[in-house]
Amino acid sequence: MPSLKDLKTRINSVKSTQKITSAMKMVAAAKLRRAQEAAEQGRPYADRMRQVIASLAAKSDGSNGPALLVGNGKSDTHLLVVMSADRGLCGGFNGSITRQTRNEVSRLQSEGKTVKLLMVGRKSADALRRDLGDLYIDRLEGIQGTSVSFADAGSIGKTIRDGFEAGDFDICTVIYNRFVSAITQEVTLTRLIPAEVGSGEADSADDASTVNYDYEPEEDELLASLLPRNISTQVYNALLESSASELAARMTAMDNATRNAGDLIDRLTLVYNRSRQATITKELIEIISGAEAV
Amino acid sequence: MAETTQLELVTPARVMVQKAAEMVVAPGVEGLFGVLPRHAPLLADLARGIIEVHENGKIVNRYMIDGGLADVTPEAVTILAERAEDLDAADAGELNTRADAASEAEADFLRAVAAAL
Repeated sequence: MPSLKDLKTRINSVKSTQKITSAMKMVAAAKLRRAQEAAEQGRPYADRMRQVIASLAAKSDGSNGPALLVGNGKSDTHLLVVMSADRGLCGGFNGSITRQTRNEVSRLQSEGKTVKLLMVGRKSADALRRDLGDLYIDRLEGIQGTSVSFADAGSIGKTIRDGFEAGDFDICTVIYNRFVSAITQEVTLTRLIPAEVGSGEADSADDASTVNYDYEPEEDELLASLLPRNISTQVYNALLESSASELAARMTAMDNATRNAGDLIDRLTLVYNRSRQATITKELIEIISGAEAV
Repeated sequence: MAETTQLELVTPARVMVQKAAEMVVAPGVEGLFGVLPRHAPLLADLARGIIEVHENGKIVNRYMIDGGLADVTPEAVTILAERAEDLDAADAGELNTRADAASEAEADFLRAVAAAL
């Protein structure tokens, strides 16, 4: 049985933890609103870009398109771009990315492919360093704060393009958390190279509207100038989604932590009061029986 | 009011402009082109330059873009640009301050915008 003083200390310590978690929750919630807005406002650009490329791709159809679109004909080496957070305390956010990456890597390796990793964000890079550290081609940190800049996405995009042109890998996939709502984030894999063009539904809609487009310059030239930009755009979009998801995950996690701390405080207070009363009763019994004995 | 086409200027960060215009002039890589309502569908690569929005025969808005893509349909003009600035709201001093803090490519663009004011 812990003494009254121990209990008191424990209660105070849980209380201060609760203050911290509730402050973190508030901060995450405030930042989330901004990040969510950014993610939502970033979608139109990326969506349009994808549509245009899908319609161009449907036109220039055939295997002699640019390598960024159709791939270089091989699939021996895969590059995975993994986006996690720089900071912890955000529930399952980093864990699910790490798990998915591990699964993907072992799946590809069991198929006899070579895997390379480009780690964005500190947490997953640290978690996987021991097992998969040899596969890292680079690790980037500090670009996923509250404001994601397009320039950062552009430089990641450039790294990817340069690597592809140098023949370092054949297929490039991004793994990130897609922001669905404040309580749901979805681990998503998006293939960048060769470009993923539209699902069936989007295609049929596009076909009708693209029949008699004019192109300036020629289609192939246009496609060649768009594809590199598309990579940066998709990376940027993934970064935005990932930042919003991180904040949402942190908000939920901290909300739970605050509630759990509240429960713990209630339980400890109950124990504290019980033992205080037990002590008083015991003292009374001692006094009374002492008086009776006289 | 005369017939209009729906102009949309979209940057990676946000939808920057959304308005009806009588004519839009855009800087294509092969030269400036004007878009009137009911223009034939066109996909054009854009160079760095100024997008002009015309109304009643006068220019009402000017936006500078750092290259991009125009998707023209009979009803609308959608312009995708990585970087864009509203020339009417911009201020040379402020642009230069931002340019000092920005990355090389961005700074170059911001200085060009300041010069175009």
